[in-house]
Amino acid sequence: MMSVFRSSRLLRAGVAAAIGMLAALTTAQGEELGPVPQIETEAARVELGKRLFFDRRLSGDAAISCASCHIPERGFSDGLPLSAAYPGSLGFRNTPTLINSAHRAAWFHDGRLGTNLNDVTREMITEDYLMNMDMRLMQERLKQDPVYVEMFAAAGYGEPSNGGVRKAIPEYLKTLISRNSLFDQGAMSDAAQSGFAIFTGVAGCSNCHSGARFTDDEIHNTGVPDNPEIWRDPMRHATFVAYAMFMGVENYMNIRRDPGAHVRGHAADGSDIGTFLTPTLRELTQTGPYMHNGVFATLEEVVDFYNAGGGDDPNKDPRLVPLELSKQQRTDLIAFLQELSGDPLVGPEFVWEEPIPTEYEIIDDWRDTPN
Amino acid sequence: MLKGKRKIVISAIGLAIAVPLLALQAASDENPPLAPLGDPPIPLDNPQTDEKIELGRMLFFDTRLGGDASTACSTCHNQEQGWAFSDDLSRGYPGTVHWRNSQTIINSAYYGKLFWAGSAGSLESQAPSAAKGAVAGNGENDVMEARLAFIPEYRELFDTVFGDVWPRIDNAWRAIAAFERTLVQTDTPLDLFLRGDENALTEQQLRGRELFEGRANCIQCHNGAMATDERYYNLGVPPALRWEEDAAAQITFRFEQIAKGVTEELYREIKDDAGLYYRTKEVSDMGKFRTPSLRYTLYTAPYMHNGAFWDLTEVVEFYNEGGGENEFSENRTDLIQPLGLSDDEIEDLVAFIEAFSGPEIRIEVPTLPPYQPLPNPAD
Repeated sequence: MMSVFRSSRLLRAGVAAAIGMLAALTTAQGEELGPVPQIETEAARVELGKRLFFDRRLSGDAAISCASCHIPERGFSDGLPLSAAYPGSLGFRNTPTLINSAHRAAWFHDGRLGTNLNDVTREMITEDYLMNMDMRLMQERLKQDPVYVEMFAAAGYGEPSNGGVRKAIPEYLKTLISRNSLFDQGAMSDAAQSGFAIFTGVAGCSNCHSGARFTDDEIHNTGVPDNPEIWRDPMRHATFVAYAMFMGVENYMNIRRDPGAHVRGHAADGSDIGTFLTPTLRELTQTGPYMHNGVFATLEEVVDFYNAGGGDDPNKDPRLVPLELSKQQRTDLIAFLQELSGDPLVGPEFVWEEPIPTEYEIIDDWRDTPN
Repeated sequence: MLKGKRKIVISAIGLAIAVPLLALQAASDENPPLAPLGDPPIPLDNPQTDEKIELGRMLFFDTRLGGDASTACSTCHNQEQGWAFSDDLSRGYPGTVHWRNSQTIINSAYYGKLFWAGSAGSLESQAPSAAKGAVAGNGENDVMEARLAFIPEYRELFDTVFGDVWPRIDNAWRAIAAFERTLVQTDTPLDLFLRGDENALTEQQLRGRELFEGRANCIQCHNGAMATDERYYNLGVPPALRWEEDAAAQITFRFEQIAKGVTEELYREIKDDAGLYYRTKEVSDMGKFRTPSLRYTLYTAPYMHNGAFWDLTEVVEFYNEGGGENEFSENRTDLIQPLGLSDDEIEDLVAFIEAFSGPEIRIEVPTLPPYQPLPNPAD
């Protein structure tokens, strides 16, 4: 990935000290600190993906679209501790932001998909508690909409198809890149600059929150406390059970704890139970509540959590120790985190604003029109 | 349409015509006679118990056995609509429409195979097909099974009936099948008559019976205690009008072609339901559907696999004209020929067909227990 880190701006902002740390802040994927790189896209494919993203007909009962939970005005998350999920179900995890998701190395809080957004799109649309769509039916719905017939052709995908959807939505997601944060512009406040030094220094946040997106895309156990709402609400708990059953989690009826990325690694000694992918720190002002289970409502709570050395878990990463940050240091750290948020990705560039029909047009000369 | 396949079909038809014409007279004598309906067969691996039937009754009405918890078995098999659905095509999952007519549950216990083209071999396997199909229940095993665990009354009943530590979805289908085996009707006017009550049928119905077993020869397919030979025929039932008039039906029609696994070539050109073909992939099976029972049909309009006819008179008139035309008419059975029945005779025949139905079967809709949080395993 090409860096577009503009060192002159950072220097102008007086954070020259950061430069020396860049090596340490480079992620496993080689992503460097600085603005999140924009990705080249094809306009016709983006437009198609954008319309699909906002189209409720992509869910089984046509009740929800991708944008029902990934709301542009909320940083493409939903503002809820735990996601709403498909009608008849309720989610057991926090909806993650989709901003910068095209740069990720793995997706979902448990990292269970590590391939590409094409697979992620398929997973989201077909998973029964997410959009519960039989993609064969979806394809035929799209073929019934003349606008899609035209847009798929213009995108070079031929007639509307599942494969085309799985390409077009990722193409749209590639446009959701953070931009114009004070950090990127080299215009951080004094407090944020001080917070940045704490972030990379004494607090050690950058051990995991590294690179342009401030994540190493790796899994860690920080001992995030349980969200009891998952087990208190049968509809959330039932969704967890369905998920755990499908993912091959042992003893899934009796556990009251999200095993996280254990579903990916299945470590025999259980040492990966309770690990989750490091989330991005971009756009935090738009994307609370925080953590995989939305257990913290504010950044203050998050910083307090780490200041106390994280939570209580036998598998907790040993690097998490009490930080003993002063009130001022914590305030500065939060100022820095806030200045990692940029322009909201709203407006016609990111949002399909024209009405999308909920019904379908009849093919008039049906008998003589090839299917 | 399907011109490439016509040649093969014609030669098959040639044979089909030659043989039955010779055999017709003999065959009609060999038709199993109409008979009173006895008790339904109970599979050895799913015996009836009161608790299982009660569990099945609850599950049959429970919308949580569907994708978005809005669609139960009873949604499309509504007891107020003959345990079927009173529209040409079944209503389907929200956001969709189904593509075939919903069949009654009454007496489904006696069929060897279920669905219009016989794609399910038992009630136990019919139930999940319906609950999981994208245009029916659109449920998925994991979510449905998980939901059951959060209903304490179900936990108890599944334990009692099946010994399940946690309710298992396969057992839900077994319980529903057991409940469905109680939805039978064995005391229709025809049953009473055939058991010796000579007053059970009216004069008109007796005249209709004579036509049924004689000149109209309905009995060549509608025979035996269930009034069906459970074989598959193409009668030339015209394609569903909905496919020309309803965009959602057009979507589902194409979806079904993909779901049933036709070739792309056929997917592009087909415009009618190929029925048995989807199972056998034999061109000669295109447009064939299983002979349905005539029992309980008083309450199950509209009729035919696509609900093409809205009352029994229309159905009889269709046969009186010698059947119809559809896309697969090459496969049309030659057992159907114009009958030349008078209007009075048609009425007599309809009156007799009504004798296959007794009083409407209604049951109490169960009160369904709500979800409850799961007790802690430590408690």
